[in-house]
Amino acid sequence: MGAALTVDSTLRCDVLIIGAGGAGLRAAAQIGERRPGTRIIALTKVSSPQKSHTTTAQGGMAAVDPKDPMDRPIFHTFDTWKGSDCSADQNVIKKVCDIGWEEVVWLERHGMHFSRTEEGRIAKRPFGGHMLDFGERMAFRACYEADRTGKGIMDTVWAESLKYGVDFIGQCVATELLFRDGQCIGAIIFRYPEGKFLAILAKATIIATGGNTRMYLVSSNCRGNTGDALVLALQAGLPVMDLEAVQFHPTGMVGPGILASEALRGEGAILRNKDEEPFMERYAPTAKDLAPRDLISRAIIQEIREGRGLFHQDHNAHHVWLDLRHLPKEVHEKKIQEVCSFFKRFVGVDPEKDLCPVAPTAHYQMGGIPTNEFGEVQSDSQGIVPGLFACGEVAAASLHGLNRLGTNSLLELITMGRVTGERVVEYLKDATDPEEPPGSRLIVFDQFSTYLNAQGKEKYAQVRDSLRNLMMEKVGIFRTEKSLVEAIEVLTELREMATHIPLGTTSLKANQDLWQIWELNNLITVSMVIAQGALARKESRGAHFREDYPERSDGFNYHTLVYMPQFNEVTFGKRPIDMSIFEAKGEHYELFDYIVREY
Amino acid sequence: MSTSYTITLDINRYDPDTKLSWVQTYRVEASAILRFVDVLRKINDEQDPTLAWSSSCEHAQCGSCGVIVNGKPLLACELLVKDGVGQFKTHTFKLKPLTIAPVLRDLVVDLEKAYDRVHKVRPWLIKPASPHPDGDEYRISPKTLETYSEATRCINCFCCAAACISTHHHFLGPNASMANMVRLMDPREMARGERMDILYREDGVYRCHTAKACSFVCPKDIDVSHFLALGKEGRF
Repeated sequence: MGAALTVDSTLRCDVLIIGAGGAGLRAAAQIGERRPGTRIIALTKVSSPQKSHTTTAQGGMAAVDPKDPMDRPIFHTFDTWKGSDCSADQNVIKKVCDIGWEEVVWLERHGMHFSRTEEGRIAKRPFGGHMLDFGERMAFRACYEADRTGKGIMDTVWAESLKYGVDFIGQCVATELLFRDGQCIGAIIFRYPEGKFLAILAKATIIATGGNTRMYLVSSNCRGNTGDALVLALQAGLPVMDLEAVQFHPTGMVGPGILASEALRGEGAILRNKDEEPFMERYAPTAKDLAPRDLISRAIIQEIREGRGLFHQDHNAHHVWLDLRHLPKEVHEKKIQEVCSFFKRFVGVDPEKDLCPVAPTAHYQMGGIPTNEFGEVQSDSQGIVPGLFACGEVAAASLHGLNRLGTNSLLELITMGRVTGERVVEYLKDATDPEEPPGSRLIVFDQFSTYLNAQGKEKYAQVRDSLRNLMMEKVGIFRTEKSLVEAIEVLTELREMATHIPLGTTSLKANQDLWQIWELNNLITVSMVIAQGALARKESRGAHFREDYPERSDGFNYHTLVYMPQFNEVTFGKRPIDMSIFEAKGEHYELFDYIVREY
Repeated sequence: MSTSYTITLDINRYDPDTKLSWVQTYRVEASAILRFVDVLRKINDEQDPTLAWSSSCEHAQCGSCGVIVNGKPLLACELLVKDGVGQFKTHTFKLKPLTIAPVLRDLVVDLEKAYDRVHKVRPWLIKPASPHPDGDEYRISPKTLETYSEATRCINCFCCAAACISTHHHFLGPNASMANMVRLMDPREMARGERMDILYREDGVYRCHTAKACSFVCPKDIDVSHFLALGKEGRF
């Protein structure tokens, strides 16, 4: 091994944002607007914020337009509660649904290129689980920019952050949070190009690193969505929440699982089995192809299990069909242009003429780092960590509970990004520049030393592929006690193996191998929390489905908190589900009880 | 089972520690439906873990994996092996890093530096139009939006900049210039004078030689040169 690992230099700022996607940069823009001159440093794993995972979101952002004579925020609030299978927090749902439209207008006013109606207003389309009159019929609530809404949002918040002079540091990861007397004072980061560690000291730190589903064989997530920040929180002794809730999007393109937006079904596409039967009618008679994602993903697997699926020779994978052939040419060319081009390029089918092969793809983590409704990170079910905030997919406030509705994620990024930004502005009023952190040895130096000195025979690809197959088979859409116990056992072995993988080079500069092994260890750690949470939750709710406990159980009306400061040393906690709408006993409060969930 | 090809990849390597450059040849048995990013991963998995390359979304929506294959800048995630063999009529592929920023290692270039050009055109709304009297969104007709919405699809992969014959000679480059055009055509942008200064400045649109390589290589099939031509004509 070459040079000793050291922290090269220290930077100071007011706000450190770890992760420069939609949520992180909406927070940055809010801080820039409200408190001009704030020194903000935003970190991204990719080369530019514009390349963040947010940019791959397609279908839309839900918000109730106050000028819509049919729709009301309470319908959206109810849909989100019902969609979550009664496990989201009502204070958060209400807050987010109430300010959704303001945020759509904010984006539009700051230059986002929303698709338009003939009258020049922002166009809206239906989406799964979004309905009028408490579940009666579909709502037109998803504001969109063709089928690149995430890109539109990302470009807008990125440009706004540039305007406010946010300092971006790209191609880097935060490897460790820094604390002093229980207060978060920044992070250690590792820069990929130079292979250098830097300390960044900040009055406030916002975690906004996005999702984590790269541990699944089939995943719509970007290559870098490896749950790094969840591991930072765990290492710091903080809990993570509801990680067992992993959303499988029903329509990933067969093979790697590239997302084929729910907007396709919003525009009228129909799922069909091998007999070309529109099978969703049997599973969700009212909502059909626009039922929530958890239901549809299970229905697809059910069709495949009962012999009504198909098999794709090239990709060696089972699938069903998504039928877009009956949609008007105008829709293909303008409203779903990107996805149609993906089908043509990656699958070799023309959606105007051919049936498209799709299967569920790991898509979204509903859980994450627990926060209150202001984006303040929680140390347990009550307390908060001073100086530490989180928003977006990495955080669980929780808007989604155990199942998220389509278009509610972009809504969350933007609303909770703003709310968190506002809270940070408040926090900065009394905050002072932090003193240097206590000089304890950094965990990341031990980790990197292990990787750089590893001499085993294990191969990176072997451990990565074992993990991804294991999680898909044993901790996927359907779970049992047996599959989860097996998974936990294998994960322990994989964790051990991952520390013995020898590197191709021990240079620190742009060392892809080193970077990926660090990520792989994070994925294994997060996988362990997912499996442990899934084993403990002996019920089925939202995206978490236990074949041995197929019903929802009131005994589990809480959020799962998991602490795991050391690998597989797990302690569980509980956080109550906020029922404030129900408890306020206002209009329609009875619908916000633990209701039966049918579509 | 899927068809497979035996392909040869001659890849430009660069080691930032020794500053040495060389070309390394890999022979790969690759299924026809693999993307070039999958082929590079296969090389890492089976032959050489040190080969560095870049990607993120791997479905042509982020623009992180731009690379030059047999002279053509393209996204490595978008090129399937069978299409590579079909398009280039060969089983041998020469892979080089994009030429628009310093190489960090092998095929990885410092896109952060390349982005400086996009930052120069100030891609936000510099001076937004007054809000609609009703307080909600500004009205834009679909017809107006359609005149520039293609340009908003740009993902800044810099393939066009790599193909452009003028990029290396004090030209902001096609993608950055197009980002400025988007705001010139956006009815919400009131800072027209400042936008035109950016358009016609020393490194602005008149550096473009109208070779149209940008349109030819764009992975998103955007007619980039059309937007630059509108800029030259002053039609916005």
